[in-house]
Amino acid sequence: METIISVENLVNRFGNQLVHDRLCLDVHRDEILGVVGGSGSGKSVLMRSILGLQKPKSGTITVLGQKIKYHQPGPSRCWGVLFQGGALLSGLTVQENVELPIALHSDMPVETRHELASLKLLMTGLSLSVADKYPSELSGGMRKRVSLARALALEPRILFLDEPTAGLDPIAATEFDELITYLHDNLDLTIMMITHDVDSLFGICDRIAVLVDGGVVVGSVDEVLEFDHPWIKSYFGVPRTQRARRSAGKS
Amino acid sequence: MSNAYLSIEDQPDRLVVNVKGQWVFDEVLALEQATATVTPKAGQFVTFQCAGLEEIDIAGAWVLYDRSEQLSQMGIKSEMTGFKAAHFKFLQNIIDTAAIRDYEEPLKTPERPNVLRETFERVGQATATHIEDLGEIAKSILDGVRKPSLMMVGETIKQVYTTGVQAIPVVMVITFLIGIVTAHQAAGQLEKFGAMVLVVDLVSISITREMGVLLAAIMVAGRSGSAFAAALGVMKLNEEVDAMRVLGLNPNQMLVIPRILGLVIALPILTIFADIAGLAGGALIAVGTLGISSLQFVERVAYSTDLVDFYVGLSKAPVFALLIAMVGTLRGMQVKSSAEELGLKTTQAVVQSIFLIIVADALFAFLFTRMGI
Repeated sequence: METIISVENLVNRFGNQLVHDRLCLDVHRDEILGVVGGSGSGKSVLMRSILGLQKPKSGTITVLGQKIKYHQPGPSRCWGVLFQGGALLSGLTVQENVELPIALHSDMPVETRHELASLKLLMTGLSLSVADKYPSELSGGMRKRVSLARALALEPRILFLDEPTAGLDPIAATEFDELITYLHDNLDLTIMMITHDVDSLFGICDRIAVLVDGGVVVGSVDEVLEFDHPWIKSYFGVPRTQRARRSAGKS
Repeated sequence: MSNAYLSIEDQPDRLVVNVKGQWVFDEVLALEQATATVTPKAGQFVTFQCAGLEEIDIAGAWVLYDRSEQLSQMGIKSEMTGFKAAHFKFLQNIIDTAAIRDYEEPLKTPERPNVLRETFERVGQATATHIEDLGEIAKSILDGVRKPSLMMVGETIKQVYTTGVQAIPVVMVITFLIGIVTAHQAAGQLEKFGAMVLVVDLVSISITREMGVLLAAIMVAGRSGSAFAAALGVMKLNEEVDAMRVLGLNPNQMLVIPRILGLVIALPILTIFADIAGLAGGALIAVGTLGISSLQFVERVAYSTDLVDFYVGLSKAPVFALLIAMVGTLRGMQVKSSAEELGLKTTQAVVQSIFLIIVADALFAFLFTRMGI
């Protein structure tokens, strides 16, 4: 199995708090990896480290064979990121937000760029009537879709999603899950997704990475459950998770 | 003909285009040029034979799709065959998406804007909202006077400290320097008339009546007007202002009034310091280089400058303070949605308050001349 992202012996420390203690994690090609963990367990820090936005104390991170260095240009052509709040540039319209990465990384003519951006917007389930709007004029769910369209603008091979369904109503969240699965199946994407939404966790993730005690437990749900740790036991034991798991098993 | 992306076989009734190689994002420009060479004769049927394709993504598939659409608009039929399943899904994706697009209502072309009408509407709306905002602030001031809260007093004292006390050094330095410059310039001219001692009159009158208060006000507009707008703007963006309202606190009372009161107290104090520093700058030149003794300087200041001149300058300070604080807080409270807007409003706060200060100063000059002060 081809390894797309490899994290080796990652150490992150803030003051006295050891967030990651020699954490090792491999993300395989074409999988959807769900990352869970209690608050403060370092989910976002892990993602930020992989993206080169966070300087780790030590450890090496390799993405598509390229070593990641802090604040150095990484393989930005090959990855797309959906930040939690969308992180759209507020001074640009929706269309401009999606076109920006294309304009930065390619010499294609303006009309082609325009067409490709429109295509990406439609692909994420948006109507083109939003294209001329500014991010502040959109709802939270639409902003996430625009942000996803921007993340897909450069035909990435890896997609990072930070709590994609947080703050969405159940209908929108379900639709977003379906969208992610559709894109995953159709665009050969490898997806790493931080999520607290147990429905997406059981519904669309191939493997689950649980961050506990500075390390990580990875595997399918059953494999993770075999690991004896109080946090994992309680996470998968609470009725909410149980219900989601049962309903995912049924469908 | 043939290149890295396609080779074309021209048969009598059909044009066979063998699609091959890398049809990906990075090659889009070259791909568009390549597909533009697919120029069938009328009546020819075009077959895109895609078995030789090595890699394709959405961008590449779009170029292919786009060309076949262009051909069909020219009345030429085409087909695409020989895809591997892994490649075809990208094309399928585009066909699906394009289908959605056809269902979309065409975007309405915006009506031709009526510039004159829109301008009047904008001016009218802006005036209305400003009057409304000012009215709300005025009401809050009245409420505050009727029922002053301890929190407001503490906040006001904090504002006096940050906008006034902390600004003393920088205000004193610039007025000191302006005092020096004024004295220097005046000396050059007055020397020709042998009226060197009048340098003192000039410096002391101009500093106390005009320069001291004006420089202090402009400095404060840049320093605190922007700070007010930015601080309140960020609070608006963070929904802090909304939270206050929900908690039953009046944000105008908690945020706006202390800033206005604080500045109205602080700017007169700053003006006094500015006057002192300006006179000191003048004295340095007069005594140091113009041969006027320090006793003579003090005498001359006392002779030429009344307390009235000092009060004239000082009386403008609260008005300028009111303008700066009102504009700054008003602009801050107008921030609604984006970071961009925050920058815009902060700029407006500074530019407009300095503009208003100078306009007000001109009005004061006119008024005081009429009154004969």
